[in-house]
Amino acid sequence: MGPATRIATKDLKLRIRDRSAFILGIFAPLVLAVIFNFVFGGALNAESLDLRFGLVDLDDSEVSRGFWEILSGAESEELLVLTDFEDAAGAEAAVEEGEIDAYYLIDPGMHAAVEAGEEFEIRIVGDVDAPTSTQIAASIAEQFGAGVAGVQLSVATSVALLEGSPPPEIAVWGEEAAARAPSYVLDDATTETRQLDATTYFSAGMAVFFLFFTVQFGVIGLLEEQRDGTMARLLAAPIRRTSVIAAKALLSSWLGIISLSILILATHYLLDASWGPPLGVTLLVMAGVLSAVAIMGLVGSVAQTPEGAGNLGAIIAVVLGMLGGTFFPIGQGDDLLSKLTYLTPHAWFMRGLAEISGGAEWTAALPAVGALLIFALVLGSIAWALMRRRITA
Amino acid sequence: MKVLAIAGSNVRRMLRERSNIFFVFIFPLALILLIGAQFGGDVDPVIGLYQADDDQLATAVAEAVDSEDTLDVIRFDTDQELVTAVERGNAQAGLFLPAGMDQSAESGDLIEIGFVSRTDGFGPQVQSVIGAAVSEVMTPVTAAQFAMEKTWASFDEAFAVAKDQEAAAPGLGTEVTAIGEALFPPTLGRFDLGASSQLVLFVFLTALAGSAALILSRQLGISRRMLSTPTATGTIVIGEGTGRWAVAMVQGIYIILATFLIFRVDWGDPLGALLILVTFSAVGAGAGMLMGAVFSNDAQASGIGVVLSLGLAALGGCMLPVELFSPTMQKVAHITPHAWALDGFAELVRRDGTVVDILPELGVLVAYATVLLVLAAWRLRVALTRS
Repeated sequence: MGPATRIATKDLKLRIRDRSAFILGIFAPLVLAVIFNFVFGGALNAESLDLRFGLVDLDDSEVSRGFWEILSGAESEELLVLTDFEDAAGAEAAVEEGEIDAYYLIDPGMHAAVEAGEEFEIRIVGDVDAPTSTQIAASIAEQFGAGVAGVQLSVATSVALLEGSPPPEIAVWGEEAAARAPSYVLDDATTETRQLDATTYFSAGMAVFFLFFTVQFGVIGLLEEQRDGTMARLLAAPIRRTSVIAAKALLSSWLGIISLSILILATHYLLDASWGPPLGVTLLVMAGVLSAVAIMGLVGSVAQTPEGAGNLGAIIAVVLGMLGGTFFPIGQGDDLLSKLTYLTPHAWFMRGLAEISGGAEWTAALPAVGALLIFALVLGSIAWALMRRRITA
Repeated sequence: MKVLAIAGSNVRRMLRERSNIFFVFIFPLALILLIGAQFGGDVDPVIGLYQADDDQLATAVAEAVDSEDTLDVIRFDTDQELVTAVERGNAQAGLFLPAGMDQSAESGDLIEIGFVSRTDGFGPQVQSVIGAAVSEVMTPVTAAQFAMEKTWASFDEAFAVAKDQEAAAPGLGTEVTAIGEALFPPTLGRFDLGASSQLVLFVFLTALAGSAALILSRQLGISRRMLSTPTATGTIVIGEGTGRWAVAMVQGIYIILATFLIFRVDWGDPLGALLILVTFSAVGAGAGMLMGAVFSNDAQASGIGVVLSLGLAALGGCMLPVELFSPTMQKVAHITPHAWALDGFAELVRRDGTVVDILPELGVLVAYATVLLVLAAWRLRVALTRS
């Protein structure tokens, strides 16, 4: 065992005895992940909207039944839940009670209007607090209306082209047009997922957020040795200063790896978080811990006192954590924030996990691992050089 | 006088620390800005669009989808990029417009427009919105193809006539009305919701962080030295409590003023907002003082303080509005003082309430504060006189 490992082992024992590393490294992230999962899990895991619509059909005709068929078709595909109401008052009460999100009101005369080519409106009455569901209800009606328009337009176009001499079979053209295959289809396909579910998201987010606090103990330990004068004594012994720095970096890495490993196992068994292939997760943990040690090492090398390092470290950890999307996802589509977030190791760690969470091979995590290692290498080298210059015999 | 001196020194100590300046004054505003940017605006589903060529039909469909104001449309250069974006959740769904749509329409070949979504997202529902936009463009194509069969006209001719005839085929329109009282009225600014939640979160966080300062005072012997002067234990206890409360008030007033001036956040009735802040700060001060009395290691107290303040904030609806919780969780949420404070702010801002309307919330907060402060004063008295 070299001097670096010996010092690190001694420090690790000290840190285990002092409970603050345990509080920040394991207790805090675990409790918060459990609370977040408890509070938001239900709301966020059921990402799919729960569509509950009502139908008041006062026309009761062939056309209105056509609309009902479309809605019940969607219901059998489990896209929505449909309830029939006798009158508008009943449906309105259901909306106000929160039993349904919106209802369709088909007034008498729809069939007649469609045949005559006159305008007619399907009314949609929605809960003011369910704008998206109401919008979707309207879209379904619009789509049905567009289908009706298609039939009307097919017949009207044919009649117009014949210039005033419609043949006798025009009577059945409407039915023919309705039955005819459309000019296009909307091919529906689903993709695999490369995004963390809510439980794993909170577990991973809290784990990596507090990782940056956990690894601080090693760095701050180095500054404490300097402040308390024990550094001079260490250097008086046949120990190179690089060994002392290496020992503290080693301690930080150990603390980080231990806390992340415990958190991953605990959230896996307690919360059923799905972390993905073990090899990919292990690589991400290693690379993530190294990047955290590098950043906190850099903080330590520019700080004057252990307290200063702690305070600056907390600021850096909180800012990077927020921007990195450990509390809530950052950026939408391709806006500026979704680019800025990748300036943080946190975002890469989360992204790497997301890539392998949906059943992909562990190799899908490699780009994120690479990005984390670049953080570790670049910032770690600077920190190492600064620390070496700072610690003089 | 001595009470004020002790309280004043607490506030000064807080302000001298540079990292406190960041966490108390800069960070909350940055977070309100970030949350406003992230969630405050429209939360429309994002739709990725890939168009294989610039055929007229493809362009027309793309424009129709673009003009849907319930959707945010992002264009992608390759179909693979679009699939990846949907997989990562950067887009809720993707629409693929194939090459050669004009040619297919003319020859009557079926045009296959691709739609990709995820089973766990908004995808299937978004599909109906997209479908409506697509059919708006494609209906004349279908009509022209039908007319070609009936009249032997050319596609271009039939398509032109179909476009002309659109007025004769009104189809069915829709008329949408909304009923009920809006939970979040449209007048609610994009920063309004975040501002009061972050105020509550941070005032409590800072108050609990104050427990570390109290522990330090005891460790460094400041408290003992104060006791050796002709100062009653009660005075020190009240002074420390006032100090914690003053720190919370400084931060709270700062957040209210800054968000009002910078983000034009509406805080409703000023007196009501101030009263909520006064009582909630007292709750925070009591909790912070209790922790400072019970713990003897400042690092442990800060760790626990972070867990407690973030955990209670999440439970109390500072991170996700309590109105979006399940009914059971809404009850659980009201165990926290946070939920009551937020209810009070909501009453003032969203329903234009006055002090009278928030009396129940204020009452609950006063009760919390009284219990915590009495408990804290007792424990602190014990802790101070034991050493």
